[in-house]
Amino acid sequence: AGNASPRERRGRLRGFNWRFCYVERRIGCFQTVFVSWVFVSGKPIFSVDIHPDGTKFATGGQGEDSGKVVIWNMAPVLREEDERNENIPKLLCQMDNHLACVNCVRWSNNGLYLASGGDDKLVMVWKRAAFIGPSAVFGSSSKLANVEQWRCVMILRNHTGDVMDVAWSPHDVWLASCSVDNTIVIWNARKFPEIVMTLKGHTGLVKGLTWDPVGKYIASQADDRSLKVWRTMDWQLETNITKPFSECGGTTHVLRLSWSPDGQYLVSAHAMNNSGPTAQIIERDGWKTNMDFVGHRKAVTVVKFNPKIFKKKQKNGSTPKPSCPYCCCAVGSKDRSLSVWLTSLKRPLVVIHDLFDKSIMDITWTLNGLGLLVCSMDGTVAFLDFSQDELGDPLNEEEKNAIHQNIYGKSLAITMESQLSSTIIENPEMLKYQQERQVNQNPNEAQGIGPESQTPKLTNVLNGESLEDIRKNLLKKQVETRTADGRRRITPLCIWLNVSYFYPGTSHQHCSTASQSCRGRLHRLSSPLRSLRIPVHATAAVNSIGMKSNLLSVKEPKGKDETSSDSEDKIMVKSMAKRKGEMEGAEVVEKRKKGRPRKDAKMMPISQPFPQVTFLLSKDAWTSKSMDGVSTDGVTYLEVENEVSVVSGSRLSQLKWSREGREWDALLPSRIIIAAGSNDVVAVACEDRTLSVFTACGRRLIPSIILPAPMSALHCSRHFVMALTASATLSVWDVQKQTALVKNESLNPILSGTDATVSQSFLTQQGVAVVSLSNGKTYCFNSSLETWNLIADKQDSLVQCTDFRNCVSAQDALGSMGPLALTQGRNLSAGRLASRLSSTPHHLQQGMTLAFLEKQLSSALVLLSASEYRHWLLIYARFLVNEGYELRLRELCQDLLGPVHKSSSSSWEPTVLGLRKRDLLTEVLPVIGQNLRFQRLFTEYQDQLELLRLK
Amino acid sequence: MAKVQVLNVAVLDNPSPFRNPFQFEITFECMEDLPEDLEWKIIYVGSAESEEYDQVLDSVLVGPVPAGRHMFVFQADAPNTGLIPESDAVGVTVVLITCTYRGQEFIRIGYYVNNEYTDPELRENPPVKPDYTQLQRNILASNPRVTRFHINWEATMDKMEDSENVDPAPNAMLPPTSMPGKAPPLGLMPDNSMDCL
Repeated sequence: AGNASPRERRGRLRGFNWRFCYVERRIGCFQTVFVSWVFVSGKPIFSVDIHPDGTKFATGGQGEDSGKVVIWNMAPVLREEDERNENIPKLLCQMDNHLACVNCVRWSNNGLYLASGGDDKLVMVWKRAAFIGPSAVFGSSSKLANVEQWRCVMILRNHTGDVMDVAWSPHDVWLASCSVDNTIVIWNARKFPEIVMTLKGHTGLVKGLTWDPVGKYIASQADDRSLKVWRTMDWQLETNITKPFSECGGTTHVLRLSWSPDGQYLVSAHAMNNSGPTAQIIERDGWKTNMDFVGHRKAVTVVKFNPKIFKKKQKNGSTPKPSCPYCCCAVGSKDRSLSVWLTSLKRPLVVIHDLFDKSIMDITWTLNGLGLLVCSMDGTVAFLDFSQDELGDPLNEEEKNAIHQNIYGKSLAITMESQLSSTIIENPEMLKYQQERQVNQNPNEAQGIGPESQTPKLTNVLNGESLEDIRKNLLKKQVETRTADGRRRITPLCIWLNVSYFYPGTSHQHCSTASQSCRGRLHRLSSPLRSLRIPVHATAAVNSIGMKSNLLSVKEPKGKDETSSDSEDKIMVKSMAKRKGEMEGAEVVEKRKKGRPRKDAKMMPISQPFPQVTFLLSKDAWTSKSMDGVSTDGVTYLEVENEVSVVSGSRLSQLKWSREGREWDALLPSRIIIAAGSNDVVAVACEDRTLSVFTACGRRLIPSIILPAPMSALHCSRHFVMALTASATLSVWDVQKQTALVKNESLNPILSGTDATVSQSFLTQQGVAVVSLSNGKTYCFNSSLETWNLIADKQDSLVQCTDFRNCVSAQDALGSMGPLALTQGRNLSAGRLASRLSSTPHHLQQGMTLAFLEKQLSSALVLLSASEYRHWLLIYARFLVNEGYELRLRELCQDLLGPVHKSSSSSWEPTVLGLRKRDLLTEVLPVIGQNLRFQRLFTEYQDQLELLRLK
Repeated sequence: MAKVQVLNVAVLDNPSPFRNPFQFEITFECMEDLPEDLEWKIIYVGSAESEEYDQVLDSVLVGPVPAGRHMFVFQADAPNTGLIPESDAVGVTVVLITCTYRGQEFIRIGYYVNNEYTDPELRENPPVKPDYTQLQRNILASNPRVTRFHINWEATMDKMEDSENVDPAPNAMLPPTSMPGKAPPLGLMPDNSMDCL
């Protein structure tokens, strides 16, 4: 494209190189449009980034006395008539929350977040406000109202120096930031502000970051004359490249390097070759540094690859051989010029000199790869528009995936949307579904308002009152108190509460009911309480604490301990025990602090004698039986007092039960060692190896059960009672039906061959006994098969290598609570697994994930946990859809659908765990519909379901 | 960065008789839970000539403030007329709302206030001694002047080098172009007032 110029300089002919030529804003095959209105009062613009949806872009730089992040509308840049149209806003939002210059702005790949880093050492994460904010900034004298409301949802503090660059990893798993404090911080983007790792090793200011598109590496370039590549698997240094940088001085403000979209090349910013500034090309294969982009007169500040891979435009018969796909790269320099390269050409496609008055600071490509925004220190942004004739035909996502699949054995993006466009929709149902889906995704796109603007409905109504009503009475209603020194203190009315606001889908329900007592209220909104028992085996340490304190009731401080069964906050514990033991004869009233580590409940099976347990107290948060209701029940106390009185030589013990003023007590002839209760029953085990069971009203249900050995752990859940004895046997009874679900089953099968001990046990609401061992394995007893089933293993390699993150949607988090999650730990999915991304070959990982998901599904089934079964079923279905397992998908659908025509020979059950299978299928079908590849499957089952519905 | 942003101030009961209490409905947003209360003040500028006639009408603590958006109504009694120079009773003056956190002022909102007689007779021939029962107070609610200051939001007492941390010069004049007559200080420079978030 570029013509030879009067001034010409040749770089070294190694691979890539180019002649430096003047192409003075040549209009013809490409066009340069100056974006004149992106002009922030002459202050430098350090960074520019186009939103993934292409409708807007962000700039970052210096403001008046602060850093400034601005979000601009893209339409006026692209079309001249939009630029002239005064009704189309150019500026969408300005944010000057950064205290000092903003060096970098980057959109997350999903477009939901914007990250910015600045000289104030902070990284801020911005999100479109989920409500309609003020139309203009309060007190603003300018007429520039913010059209969109972006709020800072997270401030990431860790760096001790200016933050120079930030970068989101593929799939937005991590956010990396680098700083002049010589470090790179990897933040867990799913759990801000958690830090995954701080990469240390640079000895100079780190000025640029880029993620490998495959997700295996991250590269950084620093003033210490090195470029380092780090592995994401273990965050260790993969390679340290210094040779091309040995002559470099720290003269550039930024060193923005870039990785090619096919992952094959990494191109550095400022490098030197024979005293000439270059951009070094580093090959992924062996990190070879044989090629460079030569020609700029001053240091290269920024390199940015076009997100697209191109192939040669096929002209009729003019190309004899099929051309190789190639990439396109833009290079910006301190010399104020910009060059654009294709990896298939030895010369630059185009060079533009004197584009700006000052150094180029950042470059960003439009998603279609044909446009490019460049910003400069001089405060301007330029837009360059290329034609397809110039760059070639961009590969579509499918072809791009095929290339990745070829090179890495794994397709990167399973972006359905982009694939959809090229597939023909074969049936009207599917078309309708797809259209509905699009409408749902972007209800307000036409007005340029994002999907989140639907929420104001919610937030403008608090407890059924509209904001207007509240405002009318605010003065009367607001809580005003006097402080100790007599000052007025107003409790503000909370109209929108930032609760876990970073993760969509969780906070809004809270907000809508938040009020002046927002904090207190949140507790009540949290998931319903279920029965909980906390056996506390007295230890010397506890006693000494207990004796100092005279309090009889303590607030349960945590209870969120993830291993505790169904625990909840706000549990009152009251315990009083008279204890014999070493202190024979001395009566001690002691009080027990709750929230002891669960390990205390450890059972020492067989080999060890049963510990001389004193007593326990168990307490219980009794709740309404329905899972969905918010518990309104009070706290229940179970109190045990041993040796309450001595009657004719034998000592009596007393069990006291109280809830909301109602209470009963029962006397037992032997010392009580463990008690537990649920909504329906209370069970008490005594020293004389008897187990007594009472109803919640205190009526004895069964004559004392004689146990084969002393009790080690006792649990109640609904009308089920579970007993673990010191001789390592398990029994579970249904005391309502008076049947045994598990009959004195030995734990030997799971304990033999290990020196593990039981670390935790609990009973699910459905009466399934679960036992966790100290070696990280968790088993449940399957009473229909009469076997022990392994349901969780913390060391399981399958768990650690699975990757189903993109199959989990935000609202799924809610459905995942239950006994299975309890045994496996709640945050099983994201971070830990994410770090394994690409560490194993794709097909292997795929297989592992499949195996893992199927295991989860069957475990939920064995645990009779309906909500978890549904949760994992949906994830499983999404995974099958994403990875294209048609046969399994079909089998799954078939099982859910069942026989269309009734036949006596069929053993098909219409429900699973109380869920109607066809309802489940109705939920699974939309998932299948997301991939047009399965549209026939979708249609087939959709039709059959419809048919059955009509019947 | 500022943890608290004032989103809106609605002036209630305006215009109103001079002796009515001031009422401002303040909406603000907080980025993070604040461990300490915010302190809000309403200051009535009795005379443009001198700061000594400034009256703090009231100050309130506002808390607790969890992260989120909040609103409250700040009501304060009308100024003590005995402290207002008689010559300044009628005409344009200023009312300021300030907010401080840990003793540091981070925002100052100024409103012009016009006090005048509603009775045309009195307007023509104002009594020498102002008749406050006849005066009407009109706050120019549409034109708040907002000045923001960087403060140290953290508990650590390390000093900010920022000179902006200091209260603004009280004698900085701001003659409003739209306002006839004398212009009392709003305590801020026009350039200093932020025109953005």
